[in-house]
Amino acid sequence: MELSHDALWYKDAIIYQVHVRAFYDSTGDGIGDFRGLAQKLDYLQELGITAIWLMPFFPSPLRDDGYDIADYRSIHPNYGTLEDFKTFLDAAHLRGIRVIAEMVLNHTSDQHPWFQESRSSRDNPKRNWYVWSETDTRYRGTRIIFTDTELSNWAWDPVSKEYYWHRFFSHQPDLNYDNPEVREEMWSVMRFWLELGVDGFRLDAVPYLVEREGTNCENLPETHAIIKEFRARLDKEFPGRMLLAEANQWPADLGPYFAHGDEFHMAFHFPLMPRMFMGLKLEDRKPITEILQQTPPIPETCQWCLFLRNHDELTLEMVTDLERDYMYDEYAKDKGMRINVGIRRRLAPLLDNDRRRIELMNGLLMSLPGTPIIYYGDEIGMGDNVNLGDRNGVRTPMQWDGGWNGGFSSADPESLYSPLMLNPVYGYQTVNVYAQKRFDHSLLSWMKRLIRVRKSAPVLARGTLEFIYPANHRVLAYTRKLGKDTILTVNNLSSTAQAVELDLKAYKGNILVEMFGRNIFPRIGDLPYLLTLGPYQFYWFRLRRI
Amino acid sequence: MWNRFLDQLSLASHQIVGNIAQFVPRLLTMIVIVLIGWVIAYILKVVLRSILRFAKFDKLSQDAGAAQLLDRAALPSSTELMSRLVFWVAWIGFILLGISVLNIVGIQEHIARFFGFLPELFAALFIFFFGMLAASFFSRAALLASVNADLPSPKLISSTVRVLIIVLTISMGLEELGLAQNTVVAAFAIVFGALMFGLALAFGLGGKDLARQFLERRFSSHRRDKEEEREDELSPL
Amino acid sequence: MAEESILADDFLRELIYTGEVDIVIGVPTFNDSKTVGQVLQAVRTGLLKYFPRQRAVILNADGGSRDGTQNLVRAAAISDSQRASDLHALRTLHSISTQYPGGPSSGNALYTIVAAAELLRAGVCAVVSPESVTLQPEWVDRLLRPVLRNNVDLVTPVYCRHKFDGLLVRNLLYPVMRALYCMPIREPYPPEFAFSAKLTSYLREQSFWSEEAGRVGPEMCLVVSAITGGFNVGQAALGPKCRVARPPADLVLALRQTVGVLFWMLQKSLPQCARADGAPGLPEMIQNVSLDPIRVNRKRLHQMFVRGVSELEPVLSSILQPDTLVELKQSATMPEEKFRYSDELWVKSVYEFAAAYHKSLISRDHIVQALAPLYRGRAYTFLVENRDADGEHVEQQVESLCRAFEQGKPYLLQIWDAGR
Repeated sequence: MELSHDALWYKDAIIYQVHVRAFYDSTGDGIGDFRGLAQKLDYLQELGITAIWLMPFFPSPLRDDGYDIADYRSIHPNYGTLEDFKTFLDAAHLRGIRVIAEMVLNHTSDQHPWFQESRSSRDNPKRNWYVWSETDTRYRGTRIIFTDTELSNWAWDPVSKEYYWHRFFSHQPDLNYDNPEVREEMWSVMRFWLELGVDGFRLDAVPYLVEREGTNCENLPETHAIIKEFRARLDKEFPGRMLLAEANQWPADLGPYFAHGDEFHMAFHFPLMPRMFMGLKLEDRKPITEILQQTPPIPETCQWCLFLRNHDELTLEMVTDLERDYMYDEYAKDKGMRINVGIRRRLAPLLDNDRRRIELMNGLLMSLPGTPIIYYGDEIGMGDNVNLGDRNGVRTPMQWDGGWNGGFSSADPESLYSPLMLNPVYGYQTVNVYAQKRFDHSLLSWMKRLIRVRKSAPVLARGTLEFIYPANHRVLAYTRKLGKDTILTVNNLSSTAQAVELDLKAYKGNILVEMFGRNIFPRIGDLPYLLTLGPYQFYWFRLRRI
Repeated sequence: MWNRFLDQLSLASHQIVGNIAQFVPRLLTMIVIVLIGWVIAYILKVVLRSILRFAKFDKLSQDAGAAQLLDRAALPSSTELMSRLVFWVAWIGFILLGISVLNIVGIQEHIARFFGFLPELFAALFIFFFGMLAASFFSRAALLASVNADLPSPKLISSTVRVLIIVLTISMGLEELGLAQNTVVAAFAIVFGALMFGLALAFGLGGKDLARQFLERRFSSHRRDKEEEREDELSPL
Repeated sequence: MAEESILADDFLRELIYTGEVDIVIGVPTFNDSKTVGQVLQAVRTGLLKYFPRQRAVILNADGGSRDGTQNLVRAAAISDSQRASDLHALRTLHSISTQYPGGPSSGNALYTIVAAAELLRAGVCAVVSPESVTLQPEWVDRLLRPVLRNNVDLVTPVYCRHKFDGLLVRNLLYPVMRALYCMPIREPYPPEFAFSAKLTSYLREQSFWSEEAGRVGPEMCLVVSAITGGFNVGQAALGPKCRVARPPADLVLALRQTVGVLFWMLQKSLPQCARADGAPGLPEMIQNVSLDPIRVNRKRLHQMFVRGVSELEPVLSSILQPDTLVELKQSATMPEEKFRYSDELWVKSVYEFAAAYHKSLISRDHIVQALAPLYRGRAYTFLVENRDADGEHVEQQVESLCRAFEQGKPYLLQIWDAGR
């Protein structure tokens, strides 16, 4: 298997998000590592994914699961060495799998040597590498992101007796991007990893790079300028590599992150994700169609990133109060499941472990316009542990088999970095890769088939989107078109059987070929096309004119 | 001469007795037919009465408004009336049959004509009956409508309607009976025409103000020129 | 009426695609384009404000409007295919419209709504009048909430009315309903009301829809059926009632729609309560407000009463008892200042009319029409007695009239089946 040489490889990618420490422990210390991850690349290749997005693996006090970085040019000793990383990277490339690394630009850990220096005195050369202030009244009106733990974006430093700015935890001071030294250094960091062979970066928390008085300190033009600069250098020195933006913003505000194709290659479509869950509960396609109607068009070379769940809470920042209350009441009745402004649950528990709903959501993920991201463990339907603090409930060890530690590690269970899932429904004895590999009807087997079908149709990766609005609002139907290829998807969002009549006059004369079974469906005529769907059922049809 | 007188007398008396002897059996037959006819008619009456009672004919005729009409005419109930009618028709039929047995010359023809006349008689009675019903119903409807619409002389309007319908009914009935057809038709035309002409004159000349009021109220309900209308905004519901 | 003809194919298709809903808002219309837009705006606001999570549909049964009423109704929908909408709603709100067969008929309109609500398995169905421009979003909440939350099967409205508004209701319909059905329903002929799923199924099976009464006054038939069917009836305080200007001649139509229907329902089966000394079983919630004054022509009322009594004597003599008629004629001869149609005489008149209707002494429609002049006389008396009265005093008058009707129940029973 070779890596494709297409500069737009990210448009066709199927991304697998994984935390190295949660995947597989090869050393028996209870924590996953790169050697372990390398050993499991065959599994990932078989699954059909084409890129891995690694969560932060840098040295860190781990007070924010690695997003508080203490050294940008090394690997955390828990996960192995730089050599191990290189070995893993090459092994992945050999299997045609690209690797995207996390790059936290906005802030560092307060344990990072730069901050240690910066705070040591007001005259230190690195003083200006962070944002200091005598008072905590600057940039008033800027919202707090971790509302459950932080009361202010300013923290008092007892060492240098000034306030420092932090948009996230108080132990994660923000870097000062107005300082050209900071920008140079961060580019140098990125170059380091690019030279090693990393195929792209997910740039964490990009909207917050720059602060200005009198603004909300998000999405400022200066921030965009900095990214554009990074992108220009990337294109020059490392063509074919990719930048992915983590910007939790309204669709209209995301446009600037793509600019004219000279900023980010990809960005997460955050507002779509909660609306998919909402549409499912409401049994109404309206939330989904509306958000996509409001989504601005993006440059040809750019792509949205779609996801169902990730390592963070299911964020409800980009919804109205009415919608948020509805989501809380429907998906997180237990207040313990709520954190910050979101819900900290995995995919399967959110969908009541309903196989049909899990399939439908994955079907939408794979057929809506964008590059899909699968969160590790969701391909086998892993559960979550809400009793673990912060968002660690969705970051439990990968469940490989029903044996010792679920096949994750040979260490003592008590020494694992996180407890395993044990209950009879989601525990490792019930939900694991080994069991699901043996059966054709398992979720894992189905996911493999889904990914195979998705990859067989480039139109799903790169085609346009056009909604059909049948009178039955419980059915979401849309077409994807690329050149002469057209695919029609019809999705029943309700828990009951539905009939739907689709206005397909524009495609009259085409025969529908259902893409999973490859069976032919009647030709489209003058009359509305009648389809019936079981609960949560969906169809993918290829339109063929013969 | 006395002998001839006695001879003539005995001859005559023989003839009379002979005639009587011939007539009496026929008379007896007639009486028997009449008596049997009475019994049959009575049975028919009873049977019909039970059928009509079972079919609640009284209730039906009450709904149609016939009951009140009969009541006012001091007639018995509809069921009773129908049964009695049937009884009399049947019995008269038998009587006539009996009479025909008597073989009295000329009567056969009259009897046949009488029977031929019966359907038309029934039709005429039918027309009269329903005509009276209609007259009563529509005159009452006209009365109520004109009172509620605050038209002047509602009784006059009501009577007019009643008279019109009765006149029409009588004409139709008499025409059906075939009595003085032409006269009746002519008379009806004259009466009706005169009535219409009179009304037209009344409306056209004498009552033109009234006519205007009436028309205004009917056809231009948006114009509330009149003080009265404007002042009353009561809504009953 | 044949089942298959009420729900046209296109409408049925729309119902299929609307699917199961929690709330149906039924709107019967005929050429109401001037007001229906405003009414639906208020309804929609109410739904979005008070029931944002419930699945709802606006169902219009139209009698063949030519002024674009149906399109106005359809425009009230909220869906993803209308991109220009700036209304934020969690869900799709369907707004569908159908033209029922035959000409405009409130019976057919209501039946269409009931049948469609049953098909959609709606938890609650509310009917609003397309003319109610005073309708507020809160009304939606007050009508629907008792059914959805408090197990009430039928919610009838209580309006703020001028003391002289709705005299027929105050002087006849309300007291008679209260006395004979033991239900103090202030608006037995309600323009707005709501009913539960259980009551919907029950109503669909009733036979009054195919009768004349059901075609002309289905609202009253509905209310009476709910009472006789033993359902939970409640009342909701709404607000000022929209005053629809009706020309005086329409009194007969109003009588047909209400009194005629009431008499018809009574003669079908005299309710249990009519024979009992039952006390009314509903909480009273009435507010008499002095709103804009109503101009009244009392003199004309009296005149029409006097003329009616004298001209209609032959008709009245077939309906009323002889002594009642005598008393009536006597009061008609009184000078205007002294004339008073007493409570007792009014009660006797109404009950004798009801009995005459039951016995079908003359055509029933004529009996109803003959009541008009008597009602005018009664209205005159009411107006005169309460000319300077305040709301509370008027209520007391109505209360004492109700008691008179209750006390007259034995008399009604006595004459109900007696022959003439």
